[in-house]
Amino acid sequence: MPSREKMKCPHCGAEMNHHADKILRAESAATPLDSIFGGVVLELHSCPGCGASGARSALDL
Amino acid sequence: MSVRPLNIPVILGTTRQGRMSAHVARVVTQELAKRPDVATELIDIATMPLPTNDAGEAIKDSTFSTRMDQADAIVIVAPEYNHGYSGLLKHVLDSCLKEYIHKAVGIVGVSSGPFGGTRVIQNLLPVMRELGLVTIFWDVNFSSVQNSFDSNGELTDASYIRRIDKFLKELIWMGKTLRYGRENVAA
Repeated sequence: MPSREKMKCPHCGAEMNHHADKILRAESAATPLDSIFGGVVLELHSCPGCGASGARSALDL
Repeated sequence: MSVRPLNIPVILGTTRQGRMSAHVARVVTQELAKRPDVATELIDIATMPLPTNDAGEAIKDSTFSTRMDQADAIVIVAPEYNHGYSGLLKHVLDSCLKEYIHKAVGIVGVSSGPFGGTRVIQNLLPVMRELGLVTIFWDVNFSSVQNSFDSNGELTDASYIRRIDKFLKELIWMGKTLRYGRENVAA
């Protein structure tokens, strides 16, 4: 799998840790669905500096 | 390890008038507040705006979402109604998702009967899993709750303090561990 650029914390600017992927099954019809998982695969990120969280779609790859 | 206090809100999961669970939630919040390095607050779902013309993340309340996002662990105080959980508790929990991922949850069951909410706890476990929460293996079971508090809402059965202590120790350990994992262990 190609690696993505790490998310930057919106609060302190530190590199965030990608700690989980979660399927969302109740997104709006406008959101592209992952054909294998039948939902939107979301990446969850957390900042080791200040604890802030972040998320982005895994389909941006 | 991070030196930020562990943030552990307590969710009072019922809106019923005269709810004894309010006393339980207050005691658990007080016991949490005694611990160094823990920040806590009581979230009463009866005070939340709860539209019923939609559900899920479509009715997300920004205040509740922020509280869940900032939480490291969660306590849910769940009274048992007809062997199940309150519909409004589920309605509130379903309004968030990404806010819960890889966070610890402990459940306090409450019942007027002898089983201390064991059935509501069991019914909540698959919901917790799908929400991305990590359940602990300690519960607190308030059975015959109407006999555990006096008319002023003060706890009369001191044995619950020790039970809550064991429960919170495990929840804090899991909360610290999962926070370390979220912030330092890559997926």
